[in-house]
Amino acid sequence: MARGADENLRKKLAFAVRSIQWSYSIFWSVSSTQPGVLEWGDGYYNGDIKTRKTVQAANELINADQLGLERSEQLRELYKSLSAAENETNNNNNNNNNNNNINNNNNNNNILPNPQATTNKRPSVALSPEDLTDTEWYFLVCMSFIFNIGQGLPGRTLAKNEIIWLCNAHLADSKVFSRSLLAKSASIQTIVCFPYLGGVVEIGVTEHVIEDRNLIQHIKSAFLDNPNPMMSNYVPNGNDKDIVCGILDENMIEPDFDPLVESDDAKTCCSPNNSTNGFEDADDDQQAEGINGEASQVQSWQFLDDEISNCVHNNYSMNSSDCISQTYANPEKRVPYSDLQEYNPKKLDHFNFRGDDVHYQGVLSMVLKSSHQLILGPYFRNNNQESSFVRWKKERSRFVARKPPGGMLQRVLKKVLFEVPRMYGDWEVESSKGYGSRETIWRPEADEINNNHVLAERKRREKLHERFMMLGSLVPCNGKGDKVSLLDDTIDYLKDLERRVEELESRKDALVLEARTRRRQQETTERTSDNYCSNKVGKRGKPLISKRKACSLEEFEPETDPCKLRETSRDDITVSVIDKNALIELRCPWNESIFLEIMEAVSNLNLDSHTVQSNNADGILTLTIRAKFNGSKVASPSMIRQAIQRVIRK
Amino acid sequence: MDNSSAHEPPNLRSENSVSYDSPYPIYAMAVSSSTHHRRRRHIAVGSFIEDLSNRVDIISFDEEAFSLKAIPTLSFEHPYPPTKLMFNPNSAAELLASSGDYLRLWEVRDSSIEPFSTLNNSKTSEFCAPLTSFDWSEVEPRRIGTSSIDTTCTIWDIEKGVVETQLIAHDKEVYDIAWGEAGIFASVSADGSVRIFDLRDKEHSTIIYESPQPDTPLLRLAWNKQDLRYMATILMDSNKVVILDIRSPTMPVAELERHQASVNAIAWAPQSSRHICSAGDDGQALIWELPTVAGPNGIDPMSMYLAGAEVNQLQWSAALRDWIAIAFSNKLQMLRV
Repeated sequence: MARGADENLRKKLAFAVRSIQWSYSIFWSVSSTQPGVLEWGDGYYNGDIKTRKTVQAANELINADQLGLERSEQLRELYKSLSAAENETNNNNNNNNNNNNINNNNNNNNILPNPQATTNKRPSVALSPEDLTDTEWYFLVCMSFIFNIGQGLPGRTLAKNEIIWLCNAHLADSKVFSRSLLAKSASIQTIVCFPYLGGVVEIGVTEHVIEDRNLIQHIKSAFLDNPNPMMSNYVPNGNDKDIVCGILDENMIEPDFDPLVESDDAKTCCSPNNSTNGFEDADDDQQAEGINGEASQVQSWQFLDDEISNCVHNNYSMNSSDCISQTYANPEKRVPYSDLQEYNPKKLDHFNFRGDDVHYQGVLSMVLKSSHQLILGPYFRNNNQESSFVRWKKERSRFVARKPPGGMLQRVLKKVLFEVPRMYGDWEVESSKGYGSRETIWRPEADEINNNHVLAERKRREKLHERFMMLGSLVPCNGKGDKVSLLDDTIDYLKDLERRVEELESRKDALVLEARTRRRQQETTERTSDNYCSNKVGKRGKPLISKRKACSLEEFEPETDPCKLRETSRDDITVSVIDKNALIELRCPWNESIFLEIMEAVSNLNLDSHTVQSNNADGILTLTIRAKFNGSKVASPSMIRQAIQRVIRK
Repeated sequence: MDNSSAHEPPNLRSENSVSYDSPYPIYAMAVSSSTHHRRRRHIAVGSFIEDLSNRVDIISFDEEAFSLKAIPTLSFEHPYPPTKLMFNPNSAAELLASSGDYLRLWEVRDSSIEPFSTLNNSKTSEFCAPLTSFDWSEVEPRRIGTSSIDTTCTIWDIEKGVVETQLIAHDKEVYDIAWGEAGIFASVSADGSVRIFDLRDKEHSTIIYESPQPDTPLLRLAWNKQDLRYMATILMDSNKVVILDIRSPTMPVAELERHQASVNAIAWAPQSSRHICSAGDDGQALIWELPTVAGPNGIDPMSMYLAGAEVNQLQWSAALRDWIAIAFSNKLQMLRV
């Protein structure tokens, strides 16, 4: 449209921006369909280029001029193609005019392309988004912007009819310069807007260039106002320049292209001494003034308006849901989707998203979206009749069950995670073996030191506990079952074992002999004892006893059962106590009163005898008493033995 | 089942969904990445019967005809309910993986499904620690990561059929695992933490989130494949979807709290970095758009779908990006986005 209005416009823009070696120029024109709004009129891109996808690359004689124009056209086409799909989806709402002006259609819709539609219908274009440099992205995305007159950099320029020179555009507050994040991603540092032919010309460069009114004057007078500008007209050594540019263009394919070269060029180009046409006669004083003027200029316009940032939102996002008002209500709490520069295509490449058209549009949509605040995604049109989903509204949620019928939360999920794994059954046994056998296992340390420590400590304690349990099962315990008494018991037990080993070894030979003489009695005792033990002790008792028998140790020794105590004596008194039951076996010389005295001594110990077997042979009384303590006090085996000894030895 | 329908406003339920009624309750579900005759897609559904004998059925989904039809020849018995099903990402032969007592691979042929391999990570016995979930790496399809109640995660090289590595990932049961970039995965656990692991540096893990009440188990994890800075997790007995940014550990960047009951499943949109779908006990499937700036009243969902019962499963596959698959009671339903 705008291009049609002035066929030479793009060429003029091209010459202007090339003469000063800036990155791009844009002509913002007043919209023909929406009075009071500035939109993309035309533009010329003169910045870095990543890949040149043209067949003409072979033709070395093509001049840079034409290449640049072509590139700009390609960028425009790419933008249109990406936006075309959007138009199609909005056909119902918009009277879709045929003048190719995308922005008109986007007035109340976001710009996001709809991949569904585009996948099939996207026209073939020379460029794809992956071919673009960051600066080209900037240029391309600028095409989507529109500005109310008086708002935004171009809008203010037109309203005030004055030049705005913005240094550090990439650092500018988005309120001042709504595209600052975009500019940052593209390393655009300096932007200048000046009114021209009822519209606004914007030029930008990746360098920091201090304000220079003469530069603008130069551009205006030399190129824009010249009805038919020709390269050869304005720079005497223009052809040389041209060649240099051509070479640079080729070099720009190299991403590491050193911008200093360009900056030097720009300086030379603008330097008064280096040229001969009208502008270059400007004297140094004027330039100095320009420099001095800069500070105040920048400050003054920074206060010009605060509402710029709203401009874009007004245009793009007012149709979306309730969330938007909330968005404005609290701009302080940022959720992270705002860092625009993160969305540039290079970064995305890093994540290996490649290949299909949707990717390109996704990238574009992210770039576009990020410059606007909050818009609905491309896939979820609010009134899409085809969607299974309806727009969320608070009132609708009251029709929703607050609790599942069963009352159990996450019933199936919990079953899958908590119960199903227990069904396999056999695994539990396995798990108790631990990881010792699996040498491949590794445990990364969590970064939090504390957490790591706690973890290690917990593991250590678990291991300790496990070992204590094992120890407890090996050692007869007298104590309360806590770890200290378990250790005490272990110490006692070890000492006892050592003593016994010593004793047994020293007496081994003697015992064998002695045993023969006492065989009969011992066997009686032992059998009684065995029976008694096996009843009470169960599984554990038996192997021990049989082992002892197998060793043919015939000396009657205490059981190593934790719950059982037993005392033997030289006086042939054997006392064992299990819980409240006592078994007393003894042999002693017989006299008339001894039996009663023994029984009395036993009952004095609160023992109720329930079985008494006695045998008197050859003046020796053999007595077996089974008794039960009738009180809470339980006398120790040694006490019982002492009491009986006292009776016997009287 | 559909006890709320009497109170529903008439326009709440859209007709643009396709349903399949299974003979059994459904839990696990997967969408195939490869297409078949006339662009039909396979969807695998696993029965949920609390017993040894369970089944996996393959359903054919025809996008254009709006139909879901079981393929009787492609149905097989599965020991115990599969805790997760997943088709292999982008590969010629169609393989289906299932987890449970073992990680199993099944080869989907034209007219049958054959066991391909059974992977057991225990060297010492025939029993494997029970698996709660797994994830098939899209970037490196030879890798599958499994999570287990024995606190470990195992990384498999399925081409060689061997354990690449096994690590004690958490202090308690690991409930879910998700791949990010190549060699990087994250897991959630009954210990309430989300941890990230890098196979290149096995010495360290990074805790990027811990549930607010200590030891509140985290049950599910979804990593945003479009923007790997973001992941989402859900807590036990909670109606929240917690959105995390791996660059700012410990503080969630957003908490989505519009479900009326606990959340059971989450899935990021395959085509957009800022959309996520969640489904829960309230029978709702909600699509959220994460805003640039959060309002003071929290974030509202963008759109909703109301199913007739607690939604237990949710899949939003890159292969079928315009459809969200949900499972509730014995129904599989395809919802058009």
